[in-house]
Amino acid sequence: MNTKLDIKGTISPFNAITKLFEHPNTICYPSVKKEIPKGYRGFHTNTLTDCIGCANCQDVCMNEAIDMIPIEEDKNPKNSSGCIPRIDYGRCCWCSLCTDVCPPSSLKLEEDCIWANDNSNNFLYMPKDK
Amino acid sequence: MIESLKQQYNIEQKESRLFKLIIKKEEFLKTLSFISSSSNFITLSQIACADWIEDEIFKLNYILTTKERDKNLMIELEIPREESKLPTLLNFFPQAEVMERDLHEMYGIEFIGNPTLYDFALENWKEIPPMRREFDTLAYVNEHFDFRKGREDNRDVKVEIKRRRAEAKRLKNANK
Amino acid sequence: MQTNNELIKIFHGPQHPGITGNMSVELDLLGETIKGARTHVGYLHRGFEKLIERRTIIQAFTIVCRICVPEPDPNEENFARAVENLADIEISQRAKYIRVMVLEMARLGALFLWMGGQSGSIGLGTIGQWSVHDRDLILDLFEELTGGRVYHMYIYPGGVRRELPNGFLDRLSQLLDYLESRLPLYDNVFFDNSSFKKRAIGIGVVDANEALKNGYVGQVLRGCGIKRDVRKDNPYLVYDQLDFEIPTFEGGDVYARAMVRRGEIRESIKILRQVIKQMPEDGLIMQKIPKHRKFKLKKDDTFVATESARGEFAYYMAGDGTEKIRRMQVKGPSLIHGFTLLEKLLIDEELSNVAMIMNSLGICPPEMER
Repeated sequence: MNTKLDIKGTISPFNAITKLFEHPNTICYPSVKKEIPKGYRGFHTNTLTDCIGCANCQDVCMNEAIDMIPIEEDKNPKNSSGCIPRIDYGRCCWCSLCTDVCPPSSLKLEEDCIWANDNSNNFLYMPKDK
Repeated sequence: MIESLKQQYNIEQKESRLFKLIIKKEEFLKTLSFISSSSNFITLSQIACADWIEDEIFKLNYILTTKERDKNLMIELEIPREESKLPTLLNFFPQAEVMERDLHEMYGIEFIGNPTLYDFALENWKEIPPMRREFDTLAYVNEHFDFRKGREDNRDVKVEIKRRRAEAKRLKNANK
Repeated sequence: MQTNNELIKIFHGPQHPGITGNMSVELDLLGETIKGARTHVGYLHRGFEKLIERRTIIQAFTIVCRICVPEPDPNEENFARAVENLADIEISQRAKYIRVMVLEMARLGALFLWMGGQSGSIGLGTIGQWSVHDRDLILDLFEELTGGRVYHMYIYPGGVRRELPNGFLDRLSQLLDYLESRLPLYDNVFFDNSSFKKRAIGIGVVDANEALKNGYVGQVLRGCGIKRDVRKDNPYLVYDQLDFEIPTFEGGDVYARAMVRRGEIRESIKILRQVIKQMPEDGLIMQKIPKHRKFKLKKDDTFVATESARGEFAYYMAGDGTEKIRRMQVKGPSLIHGFTLLEKLLIDEELSNVAMIMNSLGICPPEMER
């Protein structure tokens, strides 16, 4: 074992003390919110006037998170199946492949991404119409 | 170095730094020990196994890497799927221990001479080795796990399109 | 199992703050000294390789990044390159540069996270708070580029999925300046710290003579003074057009591996600066690839390797002419390090050094049990 005193190695860690007088890097969360950049993969939105109900999103989804359910009122005459996607956020992994394969690009991801609920069965999400 | 091996074996060049040699099961130990001791392919990088269930074989690829780590040689051999056995490589490479344990658990291949073929990642696994293709993941999941309630209203889009077309036709005819 | 009363058997992990992931090491102790060790994995077995068998190529793409949490991108790169090999796709120069940029950013992030883990394993908790913050700034850039912080799902067979946002390279350049200005601080408090040196020198010594033959990779090799790096030896993407060094260090112990990683942070910054300078202005970021169920691989197999922040990640992939992958086998750096090497290194070490040794080997269970 090396018993020689390592003076530099003993003193230099005390540099950390200078950090005591710096402004902290954390933010005060509920009052200050972090800006979410454009293009963040958050919740789904679906432009119902464009959605054609083709179920390409259901086909590509590897987690089988997408159900096609009947629409209440027809907003797009080209929607031949009368169905729109609903996403199970208990299974979704936000890979955004469903938005990649969407032929009319009606399915998109928005920046909003915060949702709290006490029951995991409630995480069936109907994309917002935008 | 690869040139001298090429004279002796029928080595195919797949990419600029990737080579392939297909051997018989019988000459497995002889070839592996010769190449690893007399060329600079000294390291075993991976033992890759693929299940070709339609041909009733496993294809194993022993991937050897040079000392300089710049070339890879895949040594491929076929073994039957039933009662698959191979001699261990533990005497040449200590790292073969864990790779063989993995393959033993996932495919049920017996590596003769490896004393460490105990549980790898699965504990108390009683069913067929899971990486064999006859093991049906979906059936296993359906048997062992529940699905979330509330998703029964999913519709098959193709059926739905047909139904709506028929309905529209019926309405049109009724209006006439 | 030992039955005499001299040896005590304890499980180090899976619920232990000093273990690197969901795994455990079964230790036979004589007092404080380890006399036997056996690695157990299986707490994280998610069956990636099996799941990939029943997914199409595009569906399989989202699963590979989950093989390594601290830096998913080498996995995506391996997967994409293997698929490109089997489907004969050539990607553009610009896509290659973007991929190198993403890989190096991921490497930087993983090295900063490692610094937190390694210092935490010897009780220097402050450094972890700084380095994880610095990593967060890299994740912020990832968020902007890919839309995700940890699982980027960005490197795709055929190129990359998104165009660079406006002014992204400038922001990356500013971040590099900031990170570089932080490095002397880490030197002062961590790498030169006499308490770290006292703990780490001479601990977990890897035998350099058998390192190459036994298949060790990454910092374990370079910490023995052996210059091996997939980026140099078997160059992929555009690494052969970039100018960088492979840092090495003599000794083979925990300290040597730490010093190698210290050098790698500097080299990564150097590579990123070159990438920013040389990035081609235009070029397709994404080649035209067949649609979802029409994307088929030929009946062939291939083997690709990528250097991650912890060593070589290698994939074997076999296609069978259908839209599904017949077999994809992952070999991460931990497979050998976590079993053969760790079990050997721990013999005759102190119990308190287990966490430090595991951290310096960079052992991560998901790539062992896939």
